[in-house]
Order: sequence, then structure tokens, then C-alpha cells
Amino acid sequence: MVALSLTSVSRRFGNVHAVDNFSLDVATGEFVCLLGPSGCGKSTALRMIAGFETPDAGDIAIDGDSTIHVPPNRRATSMVFQSHALWSHMTVFGNIAFGLKLRRLPRATVAAEVTDALTLVGLTGMEKRYPGQLSGGQQQRVALARSLVLKPKILLLDEPFSSLDAHLRVRLRDELKAIQRRLKLTTIFVTHDQEEALTLADRIVVMNRGTIEQVGAPSEVYDLPRTLFAASFIGSMNLLQARLVDGQLAAGPIRIAIDADIDVALAGATELHLAIRPEDVSVEPGFDVADAAGTVERVIKLGAVRLAVIDLGDGHRLKVQDMGRAAFGERATVAVHIGRLLVYRNGAEPLEIVRARAAPAGRRTERPHAVGTR
Amino acid sequence: MRRALGKDAVIGAVLLAALLIFVLAPLLTVIVWAFADQWRPPALWPTQWGVRYWHILLARADVVQSLTISLFISLVVTIVAALICLPAAYAFARLDFPGRKLFLLSFIAVNAFPRFALYVSIAIVFLSVGLIGTITGVVLIQLVFSLLFMIWIPTAAFRGVDRSIEEAARDVGASHLTVLVRITLPQVAPAIGAALLLTFMNAFYEVDGALLIGVPTVRTMPIVMLSLINGQIIVQYGAVLSVMLWVPSLVLLLLTRRMFDSRTFAAGLGV
Amino acid sequence: MTTAASAGGLRQGRIEHPRRSLFRDRGWAVGLALIAPAFLLMVVLIFAPAVLSLAGTFFPAGAAGASLANYEHFFGDALSVLNLVFTVWTTLATLLVLLVVGLVVAVYLRFSQSRLVAAIQVLSLFPLFVPGIVISFALIRFLGPTGLVPSILKAIGITGYQTPYLHASGAVIGLVWENIPLTVMLLTAGLSQVSNRAIEAARDVGANAVQIFIHIVLPPLTRSIAVVCCLNFLQIFGSFTVPYILGPAAPQMMSIFMQRTFTEVHLADAAETQAAITFLVCLIAGVVYSAIVFRDSAAKGTLAA
Repeated sequence: MVALSLTSVSRRFGNVHAVDNFSLDVATGEFVCLLGPSGCGKSTALRMIAGFETPDAGDIAIDGDSTIHVPPNRRATSMVFQSHALWSHMTVFGNIAFGLKLRRLPRATVAAEVTDALTLVGLTGMEKRYPGQLSGGQQQRVALARSLVLKPKILLLDEPFSSLDAHLRVRLRDELKAIQRRLKLTTIFVTHDQEEALTLADRIVVMNRGTIEQVGAPSEVYDLPRTLFAASFIGSMNLLQARLVDGQLAAGPIRIAIDADIDVALAGATELHLAIRPEDVSVEPGFDVADAAGTVERVIKLGAVRLAVIDLGDGHRLKVQDMGRAAFGERATVAVHIGRLLVYRNGAEPLEIVRARAAPAGRRTERPHAVGTR
Repeated sequence: MRRALGKDAVIGAVLLAALLIFVLAPLLTVIVWAFADQWRPPALWPTQWGVRYWHILLARADVVQSLTISLFISLVVTIVAALICLPAAYAFARLDFPGRKLFLLSFIAVNAFPRFALYVSIAIVFLSVGLIGTITGVVLIQLVFSLLFMIWIPTAAFRGVDRSIEEAARDVGASHLTVLVRITLPQVAPAIGAALLLTFMNAFYEVDGALLIGVPTVRTMPIVMLSLINGQIIVQYGAVLSVMLWVPSLVLLLLTRRMFDSRTFAAGLGV
Repeated sequence: MTTAASAGGLRQGRIEHPRRSLFRDRGWAVGLALIAPAFLLMVVLIFAPAVLSLAGTFFPAGAAGASLANYEHFFGDALSVLNLVFTVWTTLATLLVLLVVGLVVAVYLRFSQSRLVAAIQVLSLFPLFVPGIVISFALIRFLGPTGLVPSILKAIGITGYQTPYLHASGAVIGLVWENIPLTVMLLTAGLSQVSNRAIEAARDVGANAVQIFIHIVLPPLTRSIAVVCCLNFLQIFGSFTVPYILGPAAPQMMSIFMQRTFTEVHLADAAETQAAITFLVCLIAGVVYSAIVFRDSAAKGTLAA
């Protein structure tokens, strides 16, 4: 069941397209994140769903009914603002009850609902306090309660945790997800923090300059970013410009042999980029069958995981992440093998290349193969 | 560092003493006079205390009448100023219309002129339309010079309201009118209260315009006090009137201290 | 993601929505309507009379047409000229005292660490809440011939006290009293633009207190000082109550002169002329100070208002 549907929505401010030809269907109970850098249009898109902006073109429908001409106070959406936007002259109770009172609900019902909402967000007993007396995290919880108490069809959140410190952010994130799951609430969450999106979303909408770069589940967006922008925005990524040289992919000192059909597929592109996840690079001291050699510039041990930066010469560097089994220290000379990479043709249409390596005995090797992605 | 702090405190003490003598002492002297049944300078202290002159003054018809007139005029000025200026302040703060900055500037510019000269020009016009010596005349002249305060401060207050709290109210179902009444107005109430209080007080204490326009028919309390100061042998009359005139407003101001945020005043000037 | 055509109201293809909002499109009219009463009141009661009055001075009563007769009369009258000069003199004297007092207080408030700062601040703003007539009377009771100060002086044996009451000095004292708050506030605001870092940096390269004051603190202050001078000049030049009660009967400040001319002598033409001349003097003062500020900012490249 499609709870929310945006069809070719556009919004211009002067000459700038804040949102351009944006289309998205959200299923009931789904948690969707709009992810992107500032200025990408995610907040504008959210505000159009809420009704604070009207699209110049396109349609927005909730449960199949167009809401373009419905003002924000009559839409079935409820928004949690970035700055919590609590009413400082009302108590916590007053803030949460306000919407209910506007709907002329009887006093007993209002009181009961407010109590339930406060319990839901973990703020039982705070009714009589004023927003000014609460901490940042508590204020944001009240804002959430205020939205939830109205039992909206769609919950909208505009970077609600960005002004809180990291610890609190993680905690509130988990609480929000738990509440959302329990209530099966269709939720749209705007953020610029890709870690937040990867943690919370059922699906991520990666946005850039008003358009959608990719829509997909977190694992999908992480494993197979569809554009170079998405690749650079999600997680940590090594990005190198590449060219075809003698049937090989050359990026700096890295040489990767490729099959003829891959060669053909790549030939037509004007620009080629390699995108390599740090965890797909393996490093060994000394030389072996390798794609490139280099010196270890820096090693950082993060508990179970090791991060290393390998200097390949000529200003080229690779970030590597592994489990730290092969021993080496800083300034050691090492060989680098790339297990998996994506090749972007003109910033999009990535080709995935998975490669075998000289494996210890007992492990199956596979021939290098490419998986074209669309 | 300790030496420097010592010097600092000494200078401060001197300044404080000087200010206490210059600012507070004259006022305290008057307050003592108001409760002195008998004080014959150069005696340093009253010889008899009491409230004799309070009784005398409050029994005088002209004093009581002037009090009534002053209260009435100030109230009318404040109410009319509020009715005229608050919508204008809202417009200056929230709406965009051609010449907005210029119009706002014009209100400020008016106060850059020598005020009494303006009073005289207005008085001459009032003379030809017969408004001299009328309550309407006094109300009008006090009203027109209270416009700046009643526009400047509320404009800053309206500007200071965070739009997101209004959007949040719309989001939970409030109509535009509900937002205005239940959300915006409560947020600006302290600043507007301060502006109203200041307007009332300025009108109540106003001398120049009342003297030029109101006299001899309309005599506000400050005008009556003026006649009881110049060439008056009984000092206590002026003292009692001073206390009657001033102390209530001081008390009120102290109680509502929180409304007078310096930000409110500073932010008003076209920022 | 393609758009799914589900049941109910979803349309295919791009739908254009012309910007529509009655309020938004005609908002300007609403704005103008809301400010109209206040603005019109000001025009009718201030601008129009001022302009009419000013124009009227060039058409003296009983004369054939436009002439400068009113002004000739004013400048030909020794008393009138004396009053004008007296007003200018008193204003400048008050201004000077105000600047000195204001600077001392403002500098102290800015750089002091002591606990007395709060009390000094309150006291320097206190006059804002005292009406002019009350302080005028209070100063008579304090500094007048039978005031507290001469009583104290007599008690400790100092004779020969000259009361400022009904002298120019009386008016100056009262006017200074009234205008301390505005001066201190403006100078404080100007001083707040001097950062502690800038001063520390100057001390770091070896400047002493005086040098710091002259080269680091004072320059950003010149604009504030100019504003203080300008606003205070206008305020003091046109003030009435305090000089009326505390100042001399002759010569008198222009505002008192105007009031007497209008109310007691009933010479509307003369009063108008006096008002016009008051406007003119203040205009010149405003221009002078604007020029100083403009030149000062242009020289420093800080023309942003």
C-alpha cells in the first residue's frame, strides 16, 4: 500500500531548482531517509510534503489523494523541526495537548493521550515543565511526542538530532526507530549524516542538487552506489581517476588487468573513475602478486579493525581497512591487492569488478568476472 | 594582578559614590521632603515628619482633577497608539511592501528633529483649527510622539519570533488566526507590554506639549506641579506631587524589569 | 523509481501550478494598509504642520508676498540673537560634560572586573525612568539656595556657595543628568566593538595603557562619539522642561523663547520663525556630524552603516 507518492515534483526559487523532477513512492510503515549535502533539496522536498511549500510542478498524494491544495494544518502529516520549535510560553503538557485541543477532544481524552505520548518518548511526569527548563535531548523528545500524539499518517523529521551531541544522537536514533517500528508509522527523515541514514532507513534516497541520485536499501546503496556522487557520499571510499592503457585499467601506479568484454564496455566513456572500499583492499608486507606497491604512511588501530593509509607514490594514496592479520608497521613497503572495485563511466553506470587473489590453501578461487549493474 | 584589581575597585568606588550623589541623592532629598511636615533649611533633617501635605494636596480640587485628566489622557493615548501601531509593527516585521524601509525610517527621522520646534509648528496649526486648550489637542500631540516607540519595539518583537514555532502550530492543525492569537502574540507579549508601559508613562509625564497646547483649560498633573514649583514657598507641595507622580511608575518598572530586554531596544533600529 | 499509477487522483506527467496565493500576491497592499493610519497621522500632525510652518515664515503676515522679513526681524533683535547664541552655548557645554562623564563611565564598565560594575550600570541608566519635571524639582531641592548641598556645606563650615539654580549652569547640570543614560548606552555599544583580543595583542607588542586607549580603543569609538554628539545636540537644543525650571529667565533657550512667544505674547509668526531657525541649526549640526562620520568611515573603509 502506497502511503505517500510524489510525482515529478519540482520547486524553483528564482532561477535555482531546489527540487527537480522528484518522484518517489513510500509504502505504509516504511522508514525513508532523504540523504544529501546541504542545498541538495531534501528539506525543500520535506516541506512540500508537509505543505509549507507548494510545488511548481508535479503532484503529492497521501493514500492516493492529492494534497497539493491542502494547507499544512489540514494534512495528515506531522513534522518534527530541526530546532524543535516548542512553544516557550506553554508547558510540556500544553505543547503536546495543543493540537488535540484544536480538534476539540474532551479534556480527559487529551490528558490521557498526552500521558501516553510522554511515556512513549520516555518523559513521564514532565508535564508541568517549560521548554526552557529542559535539556536539548528532552526538548527534542517533547517535539516528537507532540507530533506522535496526533497519530499522523506520515511522520516527517527535518534533521531533528543534528544539534545534539553524538552520544545523545545515537540514543535518540535508536529510540526513534523502536517507536517507529512499534507504531508502524510511515516516516520520512531528512539528514546529511550518512551514518544516520544507513542505521535508520529501510530505504535511502540520495539527493544532490535537487535531483535523486539513487534510491535503495542501505546495503544496496552502500554496495552499489549508482553514481560517483553517491559513491563519494556514502561511507568511506577511495576514488581514483582512471584510464585504459594496453587493455588494463590504470589509476596512478595501480594496474588492473581486465577482460576484453570489460575493455569494450569501458571504451566508450570519456571519463573513468575507480571507486574502491577500504575493506576491499588487502595489504601484505613485501611484494607478491599485486596491483601496486607502496609505503605505509599511517596505521591506526581501532580495536578489532585496522585502518592504514598507503602511499603509492606521485601523490596517490589508498585508504585500507582490514582485520590486522598481516603484520606491518609505518614506513614498511607493502603490496596492495584490490579485491573489488567499481568503475564509473562518466560519473555513473558503474561496472562492478570482483577479483580473485592468490589464496591460502583450502579456499576456492574464482576467475575475475564483471557484473554489469544498471 | 591583585594590585590592578585594587585600583580597579577604588576607581569603581569613586565612580559609584559620584553617581550615587549625582543621580540618587537629589531624588532621595525630594522623598524626604514629601514626608516632612516641617523642615527648615539649613537644617539637615526635617524637624517634624508626617503626611500633612499629602492630605492638603489630595483635598485640592485642581490636584485631584489634574490626576483624573492625566490618567484619562494617558490611557487614551496608549490605547489609540496600540490600535494604530501594533498592526503597523506587524506589517513592518512580517510583510513585504514597497518602500518598507523608507516608511520605517521616516518614523525614526521624525525624532531626529528638535522636538519643541515641532511642537510649536503643530501648536500654530492647532491654533487655527481651535484645538488649543482641548483634551483632543493634548491627546493628539502626545499620541503622535509616541508612535516611534510603539512601532519600533513591537516591530523588533515580531521580527524576533522564530518562524518554525508558527509552522509547528500550523502543522498540528492551527489556522492562521489561531497561530496569531495563541502562538505569536504570547511570544511578543512581554515586549509589547513594555512598549505600552513606556507609552503610558511618557504621556503621563509629558510637559512640553501639554503646556503648549493644553494650558489654560486642560491642566495635566505635571502642569499643576509646574505651577506649584515656580516661586512656591511651600516646598512640600512639589515634593508630594513628585512622589505621587513618580514612585508608582518606578515600582511598576521594577516589577516588570524582565520585559526590558536590551536586545529588544537595540534590535528595533531597522535590523 | 517509476511513478505508480495507483487508485484515486494520481495524474501522469508533469502538472504545472502557477504560483497562486491571493495573500501572497496582494500582501503588499495589506502591508501598506496596516501602516497607513500611523503614517498618515505622522504626516498630518508632524510633516504637514512643519512644512507649512516653515513655508509660512517666508510669507510674513501683512506683507505682499515672499520675503525674509521674519528672519530679518529675528536677527535684528538683540534679544533673539542672544537667546540663540545662549542655546548653542548651553548645548555645547552640556555635550562636553556629557562626553567626559559618559566616556569615563563607559570605559570603566567595559574594562572593569569589579563587582561594582552592575551597580554603576544601573545607576547610569536610572535617569531614564525619572520624568524631567521630577528631576528638575529634585535638583532645586538639592542644589538650590535652600537645598541640601548648601545646608551640608554650611554645616561643615564652607561658605560662599553659589547656587546653579536659575543660572545657565543649573540648566547644564539638569540636562547632563537627563542625557547620561543615552550617552552611556551608545558609548558602551561602541566600546563593545573593541575586542579584548585586540587589546591583548597591543599589549603583547608593547603598548602602554595610554597608547592602547588612543590607538586601539578610541578609533572604533569615533563613530559612537559622533552619534552621541549628534543625538544629544538635537535632544538638548530642543529640550524644554529642565531649562525652563532650572535655567535663567534671560537669556533663555530657544524652546522656552518659543513657548513664551506663542503662549504669552501670542506672536505666531515670530514663534514660527524661531522654530524654523531651530530646525536650521539642528540641520547644520546633523550635516556636520554626518560629514564627520562619513569621512571617518570612508577613510577606514568601513562604509557599512
